[in-house]
Amino acid sequence: MSTFSGLNAAYTGLVAARQGIDVVGQNMLNMNTEGYTRQRSVQSASGSLAQVGPLMGKVQVGQGVSVTGMQRLGDNFLDAKVRTTTAASGYWGVRANELTTLQSSLNEPSKNGISTQLTNVWGAWSGVALKTGDAAAAAVLIQESKALAGQIAVGYTAVDNQWSQLRNQTVGMATELNEAATQVAGLNGLIRSTLAAGASANELIDQRNLLTTTISTLTGATVRNMPDGTAEVLVGGNTLVSGDKSYAVAVTGTSAMVGAAGDPVKLSWVTRPGVPVTLDGGEIAGALSTLSAANATGTGGALAEAANQYNVFAQEVADKVNAVHRTGTLADGVTTGLDFFAVGAGPAALGLTVIPTGVAGIATAKPGAGGADGSIASAIASLGKAVDSPDKSWSTIVTGIAVAARTGLQQSALADLSTKAAVGNQLSNASVDVDEENIHMVAFQTAYNAAARVMTSVDEMLDTLINRTGIVGR
Amino acid sequence: MINRVTNQGLMMTAQRNLQQSLSQLAQKQNTAGTLKRIEQPSDDPSGTADSLRIRAEQASVVQFGRNINDGNAWLSTAETALSKTNSLLQKVRELTVQGANDGALSAVQKEAIAVELETLRAELMTTANSEYLGRNIFAGNSTDGKAFHDLDAVPPAVPYTSTSTGSIVERRIGANTTIRVDADGAAVFGQGDASVFKLVDNIISDLRSGVNIGARLNEIDTRSSAILGEWGAVGARQSQVLKAQGANVSESVSLEAQRADIEDVDLGQAIIELKAQELNYQSALSVTARALQQSLMDFLR
Repeated sequence: MSTFSGLNAAYTGLVAARQGIDVVGQNMLNMNTEGYTRQRSVQSASGSLAQVGPLMGKVQVGQGVSVTGMQRLGDNFLDAKVRTTTAASGYWGVRANELTTLQSSLNEPSKNGISTQLTNVWGAWSGVALKTGDAAAAAVLIQESKALAGQIAVGYTAVDNQWSQLRNQTVGMATELNEAATQVAGLNGLIRSTLAAGASANELIDQRNLLTTTISTLTGATVRNMPDGTAEVLVGGNTLVSGDKSYAVAVTGTSAMVGAAGDPVKLSWVTRPGVPVTLDGGEIAGALSTLSAANATGTGGALAEAANQYNVFAQEVADKVNAVHRTGTLADGVTTGLDFFAVGAGPAALGLTVIPTGVAGIATAKPGAGGADGSIASAIASLGKAVDSPDKSWSTIVTGIAVAARTGLQQSALADLSTKAAVGNQLSNASVDVDEENIHMVAFQTAYNAAARVMTSVDEMLDTLINRTGIVGR
Repeated sequence: MINRVTNQGLMMTAQRNLQQSLSQLAQKQNTAGTLKRIEQPSDDPSGTADSLRIRAEQASVVQFGRNINDGNAWLSTAETALSKTNSLLQKVRELTVQGANDGALSAVQKEAIAVELETLRAELMTTANSEYLGRNIFAGNSTDGKAFHDLDAVPPAVPYTSTSTGSIVERRIGANTTIRVDADGAAVFGQGDASVFKLVDNIISDLRSGVNIGARLNEIDTRSSAILGEWGAVGARQSQVLKAQGANVSESVSLEAQRADIEDVDLGQAIIELKAQELNYQSALSVTARALQQSLMDFLR
């Protein structure tokens, strides 16, 4: 043990305390930085020097303190929980959003909805029944019927536009995913080389965690931490990022709603075209599920199902009115078998048109009852009261979408709750507490003072030894 | 470790609570502003279904109301026409009784009666062709334009014959109720040789050719009782229509009450809820302002 070892030990104390305060400072400064995880300097007492030779057996004190590292006080389990819950809330959030937009486009219940227009049409038929052969009543009927066809078309177009918009958004999400994956790969490389050099990569890991959370929100990806410090990101069991390599994805499939059945929209690997990416949840999965085609059981994508319902509804209105209208005769009392609505090619909701252009084309009379008879018009007016009326079909459609939207909103709210809880837990573990940092600052400050005091004592001892030795009693 | 409280956590919780409180405030404001309980179908899916059903019901009640008014107008017109026909026929009967006094009347006087009868016959023809909004009320659903043609009819029209095709004019006054609103021209005025017009023609020609017309009184009475029968039927149907009108009004009132029950919120309740939420929000704000103020730093020197 050398004469000056005490000074050196005191110096290690000063350095350790200063570094401790630096870490406290870093924590305090990043109190509000998104994704920052608090750090702590890890100290360990330095042992005494190894004893060899004749000096062995003496009691020796340690050589001070050393800083062995900067610990990042994050918790992998809490981080993983956040990723899982954001994947769920991303999935339900997108679906709830789309369903809410869909039900707003219904305009129900209001005076501007299709239900009101339907009753207007029945009213107009009743008006024609009161005044058969009256051009004005017929004009009202034709206008109201055209307005109904127009509203069905507008509703269908709104759904179609919403589908295209969501398809574009999904492309945007895929781009965001690719960017995040590229950045994670880059950070992986940096972190690996930093750690290999023995330095601290805590801030880089924080950044990478933010990005992997983004990826999980989009796709429900899971993250595996590798021994070399890199993180492997897996989507549906397939590697999205491994080491410093990332694999790009792209949205493929139809770009119009009508093609969704033949060529569904999906996420594919760029390197393996045609191989779809299996998603475990997340916003992209929510969007893709909403974009999928309608099926026979009505459990397909919400938008395609709604569009399909518009088509079925348009066809039903046309069929029900035509079925009765065909049995009627024109004012001449002879001509029967005429249609009132025509359904063109393509989606029925867009192809619904009114055939008569004036009073002459409307068959209001029962054959043989006289040309001024209005009983067929009256029968059509009563269609709205039938057990299987188009009104009831429409009400069923509205209620179905309403229930789906309500369920979606509830599920989204539930998923958000668990996300909030997970993020809260993560924060309460990883974020900076000012009081705690203050206490640490005071502690390190005191440690610094103490180390300085030790140094002064040793200095005084040396002073006594060097300057005062041999002059006792002089 | 999970119970650790940090400034960031505290701030996030405070922010979340404020946001929640504010969004509830916005919702209450919206409710109080629109006074609608159902803004979106998802607010209450089964309520939405009820609301759509009741709105459709209301529309059909309005339509039945229009049908009832139209039917009432038809029946009133028919009633007036029948009453006029009846008094015309009474007049014919009086003249016939007068003209049957063979001994007391000179040829000139008889001719005067015959001329008056001709006027009455023309008036009967006009009444038989009474119209409501361009439709003959005694012609059923015929599009002929006239219920009965006079002797100057252009073939194929046959004089004194009802042009009705036999079908009746009906109005729907309830979901399952229709009512006849025209009167049967053939039953009231008779057809062809049995018609009231031919009867008056016969009386006139008898009068002019010197045949005693007293024998025709029976025919007049038979026709008169036919008219009275039809008149009574029209009156009964009109009273049914009026009853339906009353029921229609009360149904529309009850439907409106049902609709308001489902769709609307009570103003008082909405305002109390809004005020309560305002208070909640204000207290959340002041609590947050207090909670975020202090840290150990304020006390260290």
